[in-house]
Amino acid sequence: MKRLSFSYFPGCSQSGSAEEFGLSTEAVCGALGIELEELPDWSCCGASSAHMTNDALSIALPGRDLALAKQIGKDMLVVCAACYSRMKVAQKRLLSDEKLAKEVAGMVGADPRFSGEIRHLLDVLVNDVGMPEIKRWVRRDLAGLKAVPYYGCLLVRPPEISCCDSVENPTELDSFLEALGVEVRPWSFKTDCCGGSLSLSRSDIVEKLVNKLFTRAEEAGANCIVTACPMCAANLEMRQQPGKFDFKLLHKMPVLYFTELLGLALGLDSDDWFKSHIINPMPLLKELDLAGKK
Amino acid sequence: MAENKPSAKPAAKKAAKKETAKKPAAGKPAKKTAAKKAAAKKPAKKPAARKSAVKAPAAPAKATPVGAVMVVGGGIGGVQASLDLVDMGYRVYMVDSGPSIGGVMGQLDKTFPTNDCSMCILSPKLVEVGSNRNIKLMTLTDVVGVEGEPGDFKVTVRVRPRFVDIEKCTGCGICTEKCRVKVKDPYNANLSRTPLIRVPFPQAVPGAAFIDPKMCLYLLKGKCGNCKEECPAGAVDYDQKERTEVIEVGSIVLASGYKPFDARARAEYGYGVYENVVTSLEFERILAANGPTGGHVVRRSDGGPVKKLAFIQCVGSRDSTAGNTYCSSVCCMYATKQSIIAKEHERSIDPTIFFIDMRAYGKGFEEYYQKSKDEQGIRYVRCLASYAKELQPTGNILIGYVDPEGNTVEEEFDLVVLSVGIEPDAAVLASAVGVELNEHGFVASDKFFSVETSREGVFACGAIESPKDIPDSVVQASASAGMASAKLTAGRGELIERIEYPPERDVAGEEPRIGAVICRCGTNIGGVVDVPAVVDYARTLPGVVFAEERLYACSQDAQEWIRETVREHGLNRLLVASCTPRTHQPLFRETMRSAGLNKYLFEMANIREHCSWVHMNIPELATEKAKLLVKMGTEKAALLEPLSEGVSPVTPRALVIGGGGAGMTAALQLADAGFTTYLVEKDRELGGNMRHISKTIEGGDVQRKLEELKARVLAHKNVGLFLGSEVESVDGFIGSFHTTVDTPEGPVELDHGIVVVATGGLEYEPEPGEYGWGTDERVITQTELERRIAEEPESLAGARDVVMVQCVGSRNEEHPYCSKICCGIAVKNAVALKGVNPEAQVNVCYRDLRTYGFKEDHYLEARDLGVNFIRFEKEQPPAVVDVMGDPQVRVADANIRGEEVVLNPDLVVLSCGVVANPDARSLGPKLKVPLTSDGFFLEAHVKLRPVDFATDGVFLAGLAHYPKTIAESLTQACAAAARAESVLSKPEVVTEGVVAFVDESMCAGCRQCVAVCSYEAISFDEEKGVAVVNSSLCKGCGACAAACTSGANRLLGFKPEQIYAQIMAACGGV
Repeated sequence: MKRLSFSYFPGCSQSGSAEEFGLSTEAVCGALGIELEELPDWSCCGASSAHMTNDALSIALPGRDLALAKQIGKDMLVVCAACYSRMKVAQKRLLSDEKLAKEVAGMVGADPRFSGEIRHLLDVLVNDVGMPEIKRWVRRDLAGLKAVPYYGCLLVRPPEISCCDSVENPTELDSFLEALGVEVRPWSFKTDCCGGSLSLSRSDIVEKLVNKLFTRAEEAGANCIVTACPMCAANLEMRQQPGKFDFKLLHKMPVLYFTELLGLALGLDSDDWFKSHIINPMPLLKELDLAGKK
Repeated sequence: MAENKPSAKPAAKKAAKKETAKKPAAGKPAKKTAAKKAAAKKPAKKPAARKSAVKAPAAPAKATPVGAVMVVGGGIGGVQASLDLVDMGYRVYMVDSGPSIGGVMGQLDKTFPTNDCSMCILSPKLVEVGSNRNIKLMTLTDVVGVEGEPGDFKVTVRVRPRFVDIEKCTGCGICTEKCRVKVKDPYNANLSRTPLIRVPFPQAVPGAAFIDPKMCLYLLKGKCGNCKEECPAGAVDYDQKERTEVIEVGSIVLASGYKPFDARARAEYGYGVYENVVTSLEFERILAANGPTGGHVVRRSDGGPVKKLAFIQCVGSRDSTAGNTYCSSVCCMYATKQSIIAKEHERSIDPTIFFIDMRAYGKGFEEYYQKSKDEQGIRYVRCLASYAKELQPTGNILIGYVDPEGNTVEEEFDLVVLSVGIEPDAAVLASAVGVELNEHGFVASDKFFSVETSREGVFACGAIESPKDIPDSVVQASASAGMASAKLTAGRGELIERIEYPPERDVAGEEPRIGAVICRCGTNIGGVVDVPAVVDYARTLPGVVFAEERLYACSQDAQEWIRETVREHGLNRLLVASCTPRTHQPLFRETMRSAGLNKYLFEMANIREHCSWVHMNIPELATEKAKLLVKMGTEKAALLEPLSEGVSPVTPRALVIGGGGAGMTAALQLADAGFTTYLVEKDRELGGNMRHISKTIEGGDVQRKLEELKARVLAHKNVGLFLGSEVESVDGFIGSFHTTVDTPEGPVELDHGIVVVATGGLEYEPEPGEYGWGTDERVITQTELERRIAEEPESLAGARDVVMVQCVGSRNEEHPYCSKICCGIAVKNAVALKGVNPEAQVNVCYRDLRTYGFKEDHYLEARDLGVNFIRFEKEQPPAVVDVMGDPQVRVADANIRGEEVVLNPDLVVLSCGVVANPDARSLGPKLKVPLTSDGFFLEAHVKLRPVDFATDGVFLAGLAHYPKTIAESLTQACAAAARAESVLSKPEVVTEGVVAFVDESMCAGCRQCVAVCSYEAISFDEEKGVAVVNSSLCKGCGACAAACTSGANRLLGFKPEQIYAQIMAACGGV
């Protein structure tokens, strides 16, 4: 297998609210020989909050990390969809607007014009490693899992920085899951918004949106939702009912990260990851005899 | 003022006539080669029967232009152009890249606004093209290059192999049954699968099978070969090769149509992913009785019923992101049509149309749209769908949109139709022919004569030039025919084959000697009906002296056999029991004639459409019925009489009534073609409404064009101009009109062969007080605004605020129709106004913004310049009130829930509609032509005959027909002139033998027949007190004969005794 090596921007959620995403990412990359060199002293990319607040800030925050990546000199790997989106938007702006680049350089103390590629892990797995190669390493057949692939917004929009093959009907996550033996249920809500960072300011909107997503997933005959964005996962799990911090559940369909499923398929130790979820996936996994290390 | 032209003309005309009688000439070399090739391929025992009577051509003078035209594309445009050209005396090479002509019109179920069955009105024209010996039909053929000059082009074409010999194939269908390969059927918009070798669709012309080499097992791998083995006619030929030919023509007409927008580009609607999202063309096939679902409107996912049906308009049109910025012109109307027809198929269907503006701008369109809303239950939602999503597990489609109150709504539908736009498909052809394309990829055309391209001698009609509907395509087709042949008149008739027939044998006094030919039609009849039994039965019938069966009575060798049989057995009547007279009667009638018998001594019994095809499962009963049909046929045949065709002379002169843009154009076209043309204009000067317009929306210089036309009319030696004159009375009929014109110098008598009506229309004059008209001098019309912009722009420099009001005098109770041009005029003037005064705030109050076609780009331009468009509902028109001496406009903005917008303009501009010329009410009866309820002239058929009247010899163009732009008027005038030229270029008008006839001794003078005739063919002789049929105008429809209470009126060929004989035969049993 081709040796892949990236500088790695984990993003805040990987060690926080999406801990399971971070752990499973590192585990599967380790298993597949994808070298991750974490950016030293990386800082928050600003995600959707920054770009709603102040334009310069929203470029400067990721700009600092781009400067770090420039120093390392490798292509950058990002796992969180929000981080991915902000990194790519900032890179585009910085590389085309010299005045802005100078301004940001002044703010972050280094040249932020990183010209390497910024890649999302899903894209790397499907296109660089390739599913046939990954299949060779699969130790556990995930049959029984019926997933709806939920891409959310930031992997596909804006179209200029999308890492997927279609803005309305992307298929990378679908083919990824199929290759792992998961039954992919057809549904039309792949790229519907979850409400994003309105989670805190307008959780009533998020409530409507995530309940709709669960309802449509149930209609589609799925028993789990697979996502690539910590914001989406958080909203789905936490904002089903009003009450910002008690996380009452209406729908108990597990929401899993694609890296978790990959880890499961590769036979890696996954129990720690699943413990972090608000919607407990263990009953489903046990029922399908997918729990525990293989 | 010019006077009648001297009689020198007639002499010159006679000389010209002599020339046209010469035999076919240039272009023969190509034909001979083809004939040689064909002869080499055919077995010796099968002579080219039709060609034997043709005289050998003489070589023409070199300077004569080639009297032939190539028409590229066999859709309705190409078909119309070809038929017009051949009628005008020019040989036509019709080239189509597919296996059959017919185009998109051949795939439609119904056409708007008449809801005619599309194939029903199209296929007679296809048959005409296929059977006309002067149209060389070349299918599976592409144009590769064009060299030479106008009048003498050399066109290189590549003819791809069909792998089936057209001369031998009879379309029996056995090869299709035996074919092992199945492919998606493009005729059915890929909704169904079909065997590879097939006749493309039942009404295809040529009606022969073809093989796509890319999918054929034999041609690719040498396997199968079933079709060749099974073909009873030995027509399959795998050895056919692609060949190149060079064809000499004088002009070229491009009519290759369009391709639909690929709806996958609007991915949010899920086309190609969700089964229950289809395109309009796919839906048209679903509606069609010969389509993939037999006309049943069902869901694609599960075949289930459709209750909620949605249409999403503007898919790919008016779209600057994923599609094209122009408007595709036809989608609003076709969606309305499809919803009406869907509901007709299944009453429980509830259609909803999601749209932006409802562009129902053509003749009859607005009424069609309103009726669909008010009476036929079609629901219109003025909001495009944001998305279409498929729901699980039903497969229903969820559409998201905003309702009129501003709420986001999601609604579930069973089936969604995307109204996809029209895209050009002209790049390859344009490059091969050497014509330029416009920015949108359509063939670039002249701003006034929309069929002229950038290359002289090459013309374009139909959607290849811009998105348009069928009537506009037909107008352009006739206009193309006229303009394409304008410079070829010296070669008129040179290449036309004329057949010499043997003299007709006089059968008077003979006992009927009937020959009965029972056709098997391959297995179509023979597979159900016991043909030998029918033959035996026929032999027993009285009068039948010969009866025999044929595998294919319509084949070339069968015609030869029929001729021999007629001679050998001394037959004086012929009955062919086969298929429908609609397609084959002309063929057999011609065979009769070439056998020396009067062609009306022929009768057909339809034992296919009326028997074997509808009684496939009851062969015994079908056989009995076939026998009965044959008996009915022979009983009538025995009573058939020879009928003669009427011939009346043609005065080769034209009368054009109306000297505006359309009238002048028509007159010039006819005058250029060499015909003396009288142009009568009521006013003291030429120009009509064109005098008041400075520029067209496309930027065309109207005044310059007007001066050009006027100068040419005044200087033309063939134009006799009568200004300040009116038509007093018109007598006669096609070919021999006699008109009295009231001129300032007194009455003038004119003789002419045709009439072109181009009497124009008027700008609606608002009522006093209507929108402040007449009470405030700051309320003006668009015409006045246009004048000020052109002549007094400084008067507008200070205007801060201008409000325009649309639909003044249109789309209301008094004038229910849409005046078509006002939205374009408003946009044009708004942009011009911004040019004169960029600071002016221009607000256009409208109901639907009808900037169809490429005018949409100007609407976008206006919005980009900051022009506001405020929509109002019909029930709440803007109010123009006086507030302290100044005009104030109050309008309920329907796009913001009817909130009132108050404007304080310096100028209020009323977009007044077009009203019919009131003179039409008196002129119509003089010409015996009808008017619509709105006072415009009524053409013969709104769809396929937009410049003809049902009354032969009278033609129509310009605003007299319906509101339209200047370019549309001038183009329609070319079309009318071309149609008129068909008549004038012939020495005589030949009329059918099957006409009505009134026995004066029995006529009571009740005039029922006069009232019933749609063709103004029956008049009443006051002196004798009897009805008189003009056989030159009679179409033989029989309505008068049916209406006649005394039996004085009889239809020759369908006399009561002939019909009774058939009835008695039917009742008498086998």
